[in-house]
Amino acid sequence: MEKVTAIVIGGGATGVGILRDLAMRGVDAMLIEQRDLAHGTSSRYHGLLHSGARYAVKDAEAGRECIEENTILRRIGRHCVEATEGFFVRTVEDPEDFEAKWVEGCKNCGISAVQISVEEALRLEPNLSPKIKAVYRVPDAAIDGFRMVWQNVASARRYGAKVRTYTEVVRINSTNGQVTGVTVRDYFTGQEYQIACDFVISAVGSWAGELAAKAGLQVGVQPDKGTLIAFNHRIASRVINRLHQASDGDIFVPHGSITILGTTSMAADKADDTEPSVEEVKKLLNIGRVLFENIDDYRILRAFTGTRPLYSADPNAKGRGASRGFVTLDHAHDGLKGFISIVGGKFTTYRLMAEKAVDMVCEYLGNKTPCRTAEEDIVEDPSEALMGRAKKFFPVHGASLAASRLGAEGLSRVVDKLEKQPSSRQLVCECENVTLAEVEEAAADPTSFTLSDVRRKTRMGMGTCQGAFCTYRTVGTMVANDLTNGQDSKELLKDFIEARWKGIRHVLWGNAIRETELTRGIYEGTLNVNGAMKK
Amino acid sequence: MKKSDVVVIGGGLSGLFAAAVAAQNGKKVTVLSYGAGSLTIGGGIVDIMGYADGNVPFATPIEGVKNAPEGHPYTFIGEDTVKEAVEAFKKMASAEGYAYQGSLDEMQWIPTAVGTLKPTALVPRTMDVAKMEAAKKLVVVDLAGLKDFSAPMAAKNLGLLFPNKTIETVKVPELEKSGRDMTAFDTARLLDRADIRTMFAAALKSKAGKDVCFIVPPILGTHASYVAFDDITKQVGAPLVECAAVAPSVTGIRLRELMLSILRKQGVVFIEKANVCGNIVENGKVVAVTTKDFGRQRTYRADEFVLASGGFYGAGITADQENVKEVVFDLPIVAPARVEDWTNAKMFSDAKQPFAMIGIAVNEQLQPVDAEGAVIYPNVRVVGRNLAGYDFCFEKSGNGVALTSAYKAASLIVKGGKA
Repeated sequence: MEKVTAIVIGGGATGVGILRDLAMRGVDAMLIEQRDLAHGTSSRYHGLLHSGARYAVKDAEAGRECIEENTILRRIGRHCVEATEGFFVRTVEDPEDFEAKWVEGCKNCGISAVQISVEEALRLEPNLSPKIKAVYRVPDAAIDGFRMVWQNVASARRYGAKVRTYTEVVRINSTNGQVTGVTVRDYFTGQEYQIACDFVISAVGSWAGELAAKAGLQVGVQPDKGTLIAFNHRIASRVINRLHQASDGDIFVPHGSITILGTTSMAADKADDTEPSVEEVKKLLNIGRVLFENIDDYRILRAFTGTRPLYSADPNAKGRGASRGFVTLDHAHDGLKGFISIVGGKFTTYRLMAEKAVDMVCEYLGNKTPCRTAEEDIVEDPSEALMGRAKKFFPVHGASLAASRLGAEGLSRVVDKLEKQPSSRQLVCECENVTLAEVEEAAADPTSFTLSDVRRKTRMGMGTCQGAFCTYRTVGTMVANDLTNGQDSKELLKDFIEARWKGIRHVLWGNAIRETELTRGIYEGTLNVNGAMKK
Repeated sequence: MKKSDVVVIGGGLSGLFAAAVAAQNGKKVTVLSYGAGSLTIGGGIVDIMGYADGNVPFATPIEGVKNAPEGHPYTFIGEDTVKEAVEAFKKMASAEGYAYQGSLDEMQWIPTAVGTLKPTALVPRTMDVAKMEAAKKLVVVDLAGLKDFSAPMAAKNLGLLFPNKTIETVKVPELEKSGRDMTAFDTARLLDRADIRTMFAAALKSKAGKDVCFIVPPILGTHASYVAFDDITKQVGAPLVECAAVAPSVTGIRLRELMLSILRKQGVVFIEKANVCGNIVENGKVVAVTTKDFGRQRTYRADEFVLASGGFYGAGITADQENVKEVVFDLPIVAPARVEDWTNAKMFSDAKQPFAMIGIAVNEQLQPVDAEGAVIYPNVRVVGRNLAGYDFCFEKSGNGVALTSAYKAASLIVKGGKA
């Protein structure tokens, strides 16, 4: 039987952070994820690197953690961060008396909040409603959840860690109150097998309760559903928050050429309850209209939903009142040694959460190696020479995009390929500037099984056309390179479009409906991927 | 602005064909166009009716027309008119030297770029599926540098459909070192040149032979003529069949050229970038439509109007969060009240998409009617994608409804309103 020291369950930000930290401290570790990396909440949120200002009044500790981690991630994870800064905007609808409390709260947490005049704010962000009352600048930023997860894994692998995706945990095995391993199931083949280990670290967020139950334990995590909207424009160049008590639909985050607005908050029955609704979208737009009166002029690309893991010691507590802070639970206290759950928290503090969980493991192991994840860059910068070579094949902006997506190592492999085969510079995804060489690189990775896996690694299909053109091309590439893992190419095409459809069908008005007619015209009308064949 | 007999709103296939039929019968026609509709997506092939509800293929196109469900445009257009329209189209195309083949009595299962087959009715000669069916070996052309066509995928899936045929691919080197991405249209433009055709044919020749048929992306020339196709076929010495592929559709661009050439000869006035947004009504009849572009408003007067503005895709119908609207005459739209009921949970299934059935209700004269069935404007005819009650992607009926409704509208106008 295969054996490692520690198994991390969950391929979101926390899980990959733990994996990297374990590997860097020399602990033999493997990560297991039920679907693809960042399939859960780490890709279903704003993509906001909090300054902490949102928590300054209500939860000063969370605020302080955020600003510290924000500062660290801007440095070690700069390839995933766009340092946009953020505005906190008090609108006509926001109570005036909160402002002073908030300014004081930011000061206490060490978060820089600098007031600027409304005129200056409107000069910087002309789409903001001219009726706004007060504006502060804070060090918020945009962060790419997929890329952050992916680059953590690349780094962990360099330190010897293993990763297995599409692997579901069936059972956590133990003897005499001590973890001995896990029984897992291959998602594609259904085959079950065991992996031995001394530690299991549960970093499964909203799924924490379900997973703990597989070890016969209880963890009080309430999945809380949040829906977000992606617009196909950069409505603002900065993160825009409402200056009021944190609430629904009050944050806009720019990412590349799009903007994300969110979120709603609603108790969910299940962690994978990720279907948005028209009602939620309309609610978000109504709230968003207070900050941006022209919000209806922008095309909505899609709506999407994630579930936050809200932890409370009392399993019956629900909603926004529950703590957003995190806890590390050593289940030795519940009678199972070697099983640790980390729950709650937020993307911004994933590194700190990982550090705490790994500290706990290392204490058991007597491992004194200090944590270095706050110092060492996740991926290296590409050298000037490498960038020079890359620019021969990519447009200048495309070269920087590719470098930030791939990191130095990945970029170097892609550039090698381009030099050998210059025709692979062809753009498979025009919306996000993704070349054939990059798609081939992502598709060939052992964690890529479906087209959506390639999408998360490259951003292909995530731009304006939502896969209308690049889906066919990417599947073609997978077939040509024998990377379909035996799957029917027609099913790969359909699955990918279906995954996009899940987010589009709740915003089917304006130009989204025209885009849908185009996509259907191509795949159903012309290519007939769905029609029954003649007998 | 001089008055026309007929103003056609929309420059897609239904608008162009309505204009051609009316003009051929002596009417003075003006076309107001704002783009080419779906001609550049799937155009170039005339689907009539491929699938019944439940994703069951019809044996022949006419069987599909006869069995069209209640409320389907074909039930208003009528079987006889469908037959007349198909003949009129074929005659018109033939006279221009770009004949279409196929009929209502035989389904043409043409190959696609995925390697599936798609049921259609009328195709250009470049898509003669009989040649593919007769061949023992299919060779899929893999042209270096061409985007939007995967020969390995097409070959693999065709192999599943034709287990008794040998399936191969043939690599063709880049036709031109352009250093940029090549679409099917770019490639077709190159193959308009005789020297490039010779180069292309030479690359295929090694695989040519008895019982061989080449499956090619739609790249055999941009024009509505068979010059490039015939030249290449002759040089290769084996048949070539073009497949249906991802937009921009070269076959659709050829069809558009064909229609525009006909309109030109008949003296139809063709206005581009005409953003039609309003109308003038006198005594219950429309007397003019108005356009607004670059800040200047123009008025186009006519006795009869054909609304071929292309539904949602053509922006003839628009939707916001609360309302669905027909933009020129503000005609009532038949649509489920809640957006929640517009879609199926799956994009691809055995059921039609409710939103695709959204459109304008008409009577048998193709005049728009209100909820009680009363005619709204007697001199407005609604054609093509604006019509309610059909899902062209699911049924494979797009250009069929476009052509036949256009023909009916034009014929009614020519005959003075009597069917």
